[in-house]
Amino acid sequence: MSDMKILVVDDDLHIQRLYKEEFQDDGYEVVVASNGKEALEMFEKENPDIVTLDILLPDMDGIHILRQIKEKNPKIPVIMSTAYDYRDDFAVWASEAYIVKSSDLEELKAMIKKLLAK
Amino acid sequence: MDEAQRQKFTEIMFEYIHDGIVVLDRDYRIITVNKSIEKWISVPYTELMQSDCRTIFHENSCICPHCAAEVTFSCGEVNTVSQKVSCDGKASYVELSTYPVHNDNGEVVECVVVIHDITERMICHDEILRLYNEVTQTKEYLESIIEQSADAIVTSDLNGIIMSWNKGAERIYGFAKEEAIGKFLPFVPEFLIDPEWEHNQRVRGGEVLRRIETLRRKKDGTIITVSLTLSPIKNAAGEVIGISGISRDISEVKGVEKELVRRNQELSRLFFISSAMRGTLDLHRLLKMVLTAVTMGDGLGFNRAILFLADEKRQVLKGAMGVGPSSYEEAYHIWDRLSVERKTLHDIMHEIEVGPYTNDSTFDKFILDMELPLSDETILTRTVKEMKQFNIQDVNAEPLSDRILMQKVGTQAYATVPLISRDKVLGVLWVDNYFNRKPITEEDMRFLTAFSNHVASAIENARLFEQVILTEQELENIFESISDMVIFVSEDYVVRNINKAVSKRLGKTHEEIIGRKCYEVLHGMNGPWSECPHKKTMERRAAYVEEVEDSYLGGTFITSSSPIFDINGTFIGTVNVFSDITELKTLRERVIRSERMAALGEVAARVAHEIRNPLVSLGGFARRLEKKLDGNLKEYADIIEKEVGRLEGILSEILSFVKETRVLKEMIDPHRLIDDILTLVKPDIDEKNITLVRESGEAGILYVDPNRMREALLNILKNAIQAVQNNGTITVKTYVKDNACVFEIADTGSGIQEADLPFIFDPFFTTKKLGTGLGLTITHRIVEEHKGNITVESKTGTGTTFRISVPYSEENNKVERKEG
Repeated sequence: MSDMKILVVDDDLHIQRLYKEEFQDDGYEVVVASNGKEALEMFEKENPDIVTLDILLPDMDGIHILRQIKEKNPKIPVIMSTAYDYRDDFAVWASEAYIVKSSDLEELKAMIKKLLAK
Repeated sequence: MDEAQRQKFTEIMFEYIHDGIVVLDRDYRIITVNKSIEKWISVPYTELMQSDCRTIFHENSCICPHCAAEVTFSCGEVNTVSQKVSCDGKASYVELSTYPVHNDNGEVVECVVVIHDITERMICHDEILRLYNEVTQTKEYLESIIEQSADAIVTSDLNGIIMSWNKGAERIYGFAKEEAIGKFLPFVPEFLIDPEWEHNQRVRGGEVLRRIETLRRKKDGTIITVSLTLSPIKNAAGEVIGISGISRDISEVKGVEKELVRRNQELSRLFFISSAMRGTLDLHRLLKMVLTAVTMGDGLGFNRAILFLADEKRQVLKGAMGVGPSSYEEAYHIWDRLSVERKTLHDIMHEIEVGPYTNDSTFDKFILDMELPLSDETILTRTVKEMKQFNIQDVNAEPLSDRILMQKVGTQAYATVPLISRDKVLGVLWVDNYFNRKPITEEDMRFLTAFSNHVASAIENARLFEQVILTEQELENIFESISDMVIFVSEDYVVRNINKAVSKRLGKTHEEIIGRKCYEVLHGMNGPWSECPHKKTMERRAAYVEEVEDSYLGGTFITSSSPIFDINGTFIGTVNVFSDITELKTLRERVIRSERMAALGEVAARVAHEIRNPLVSLGGFARRLEKKLDGNLKEYADIIEKEVGRLEGILSEILSFVKETRVLKEMIDPHRLIDDILTLVKPDIDEKNITLVRESGEAGILYVDPNRMREALLNILKNAIQAVQNNGTITVKTYVKDNACVFEIADTGSGIQEADLPFIFDPFFTTKKLGTGLGLTITHRIVEEHKGNITVESKTGTGTTFRISVPYSEENNKVERKEG
């Protein structure tokens, strides 16, 4: 359906899989990473069209990763996807969107669709 | 007279004569005796006949006829003797006359003794003798008094011719007796002749003039003052024949008297100066008064005076003030001016005391920066160290003269006295007579010393007073600047004193508060307040501290009330300190709340990470399952999905409560805000058939975070909907009060238990089966974030009313002005 590639960065392997399966069901190509180092490697290697990025990762925080991704490709849309609402704590994020994780992925999917359509 | 007649006559005479008659023979036998003898003997005269006179009279009488007869018998002549008779303690006298009776041969054979009572005569004689002696003595005494008297005693005739002149007169007036007697009043000065003559006339009239003070001229022409007493001299007929004058030279007394008057004036001056000084507690004025008193002619009369005060800490004598002319010209001008102005010491003292304080003396400027180390050995330092006065007659002859001082002011002679108060030397008073060169006498020193004692105590008083004033000012400043309200209330509940904080808080002037009842002015009541700290302290007579809520003053206060007693220990009132802790209390509550939040926050953040992730997977995969399953299994997956959704909802609520949410304010219309919320809850309202009453008053424009405010109001509205039964009523009002927009949401629901009321804003407090207990907590927090206020009124069974008031902020006003 689409040749778009999503990079899912989350240390929770269940969520990683859930996202992967859901997005694949929607026709995206999905690559995953479980930590910061892996995320940056995958980003380099896979050249995704969009990234969903968790903040709390075992080796480095999501903001650090976001900055490095944006340095490499300022135009790539990144959705911060977190268990805790950090929006007010990090107001000047350069991420395109922010979402609090939910078992209902409709909002996230809508967001991806919208960002990729631009 | 014939013989018979003579015989008869003799017999009668013998019988009745008062004199006693005894006839004796040579053997002293009593031949005959008359009755009158019984006056002197206790034996009847008849029994005396033929008895031996010597025996019987010796035994029974005090007289001795035989003794008198003895002479007559021996020489044949008439003998007369006197005898003193003491009978019954009474003295009497007799005269015994013995007459011889001759026989024919011329021999004395018998003797007639006539006893005559001469007592009366003798007494008269004695008296006369005594009087004579007395007169003689008195005369001698008077003469010697007159002669020896230190006073001049002079007698003159009525024409003023001197009759007598005593030694005193010689000494006092200088005229010898011979020079004075026979002259006309030689000691009266011509200018006093007339008044003297008037005196003369009065004395002639019999008057005695006592202690007239008048003047007399001595032989050498000197005039002296005398005290004179003039008395008339009368003859036996009582006619005034002369005048005696006693005068005393009182010139010396007068001198002493003058001296006394002078001393008295000095003392009264001293008294005046010291009382004037005591009236002044301003140290500078006092010092000026002291030095002026020292230098004024009316005062101590020195030319210049300097006051040095001892600085104990720095061990120096510091020039404090100097008064006096700095040059001859100035001295002349000052004295000239004083003589023209004729100002008294009293005037000058008064000027210094009440007039503007001036320090115009050039001389003073020499003095002010002068510092003399006490370690130096000079007259000034010795005055301090030895507490002794010094009178330096010649500075060149005195090796310890104060050279520095002399270089500055120049002097030939000066004196110093220590100012001692309570055994401590406060300083030194230095004086000199630089301009008139008058030597400083012992007298001056005495006066100066007496004066310095007064000065010292006055300075000490002034210094103490200064300290007291300073302390008082400090206390007053502290009292006034205390931000707490301090109120002194007397026993009768009358406010006696307050600090500024009180008038500021009450918005009334000091005068409007003082003297009024504390309960009226502080609590707006007609009688003592039940929580009155003053009342409680009065009852306990002990300090009392308590936290009280006062709706009249509008706040929570820590009141500290302490009883005040006067020096006799009588309770006179209380001092009450009201510390407004309303804000503190709010802060404290906020701290407690945020502490709870922080603890909660930590839990929540963990929960977020540890629970949300599994929930997401759980719910996510359940959804995936649901899509792929059928029948019961599909339903199970759906249940899981729904329950996970509910859990996620609770989690979000908890997390949104814990989170520090950024407030994003914008200008909104409160009515629209309410309408938006009402739209959200409309389905629930309709479902329960609730009557919604909407009252939209004037509400203006609010500058708030619409999402947060929406959340806050929604929580309350949701609670209201849950609380009311079917067919209940919810009233939503918006209006303006105290520059704030008020949202009032009232329901006719079950109400909140009174015991629960204090806890409704606490996190996790809920009375509902299905509730997080965070709704009202979040609402409360949002209202606080907007500097607003939330109150609740509730009655079980009647309903609950919440009022949220949100102040119009300054930004709000700015915008409004711009728009306006």
